[in-house]
Amino acid sequence: MRQRANSGQILLIAAFIMASLLLSAQIYVLEVGKTSEEVELDSLSDFILSIQLGSENAVIGSLANISNGGASDTLELNLEKWASLIGDQYLYGKNVLNYTLRDTAPYSSGIWLNWGVNGHGFSSAYASFSHRLSGREADVSHSYIMNVTTTLLITSTNRRLNENTRQVNVTINVLNEAEPATAGQITIYYLVSNNWLIPDETNNYTLLNYGNGTYLASFITAFPTESVEVSAHIIDHRGIYVQANATSTEI
Amino acid sequence: MFDQKGQIRIIESFLAIAVVFSAVLVSATFPSAPDLSKQESLASIGTQALIKLDTNGTLGNMILGQLWCDIKTALDILLPVGVSFNLTIYDETGHLVNSEVIQNSNLLGREAVSVQYLCSTRSQTVHFFVVRLQMAWMG
Repeated sequence: MRQRANSGQILLIAAFIMASLLLSAQIYVLEVGKTSEEVELDSLSDFILSIQLGSENAVIGSLANISNGGASDTLELNLEKWASLIGDQYLYGKNVLNYTLRDTAPYSSGIWLNWGVNGHGFSSAYASFSHRLSGREADVSHSYIMNVTTTLLITSTNRRLNENTRQVNVTINVLNEAEPATAGQITIYYLVSNNWLIPDETNNYTLLNYGNGTYLASFITAFPTESVEVSAHIIDHRGIYVQANATSTEI
Repeated sequence: MFDQKGQIRIIESFLAIAVVFSAVLVSATFPSAPDLSKQESLASIGTQALIKLDTNGTLGNMILGQLWCDIKTALDILLPVGVSFNLTIYDETGHLVNSEVIQNSNLLGREAVSVQYLCSTRSQTVHFFVVRLQMAWMG
């Protein structure tokens, strides 16, 4: 009788051992699954970020094209291609990228070019995106806005050097998305007798780069009045063109 | 008679446990299966390297300029030491773009992970590319 009772206890212990073995295996599987899921989420967020980065590049390239004289529907065509390419790839699931070009003033088809005479110039593109990723691994929606704006601000003064000649200073500020930015190319013009002239070595032309998006162009020329119209034409480091005109006043 | 039967059953159950335990021990000594988390981690590292390279449109400019050596050098710097890679670039119609092989060592015989990255350029004529980066841990 006692032996039968003992055998029952041993069976219970054996059952506990087996249960603990099974539980250990189960915990191990869960832990491995958790790690893999975390890494997968990292990969997914990287992928979504890469789509956003590609959208930004496409908008910048399109604005560079349009501001340099390209067709006004370039932005729409490029984004259509980009969305189509994304839709054709099955990465983490089915991808759908929708975009809307801003059409409220001052934008038209996502573009605003304002190269004014008051010392301000703007080249801007604005589009909103909605990226939907649905598949076995994830179901994610992500919306973002791309507002790419190159701003040019210029002011100018001149001072008389002698009877005929004046030194003209043009201060140029270049901004990308309201942050100081570098210019790839700067060309200065001044208006004399209805002709736009470019100052060169004969005008002692110098261009000083302050390294913070501010440039000082300086040249010597002859004009009969106290003021002269100046114009700055800039291509920023992203290839986006912008220009602004201002009146150089005597100091 | 009943007690003997009980003992035999206990012995049998222990034997069963011993068999299961032996199986666990033996499986632990098998060559380890591909470490999926490590492979996924490598995929993430690869994507991040491409994102870094694509920031400011650098990757697109390099592809347009056919600067294959520069791309290889950049990936050598951005990827951890001990990672073999092979980069292949296709245009939007699926045609191969890179005329030269972009790799630091051969991936043959290694457990490789592949990352696909979509790239658009910042050039005035915007181009789109599909970049495929295959990677494996060396050694």
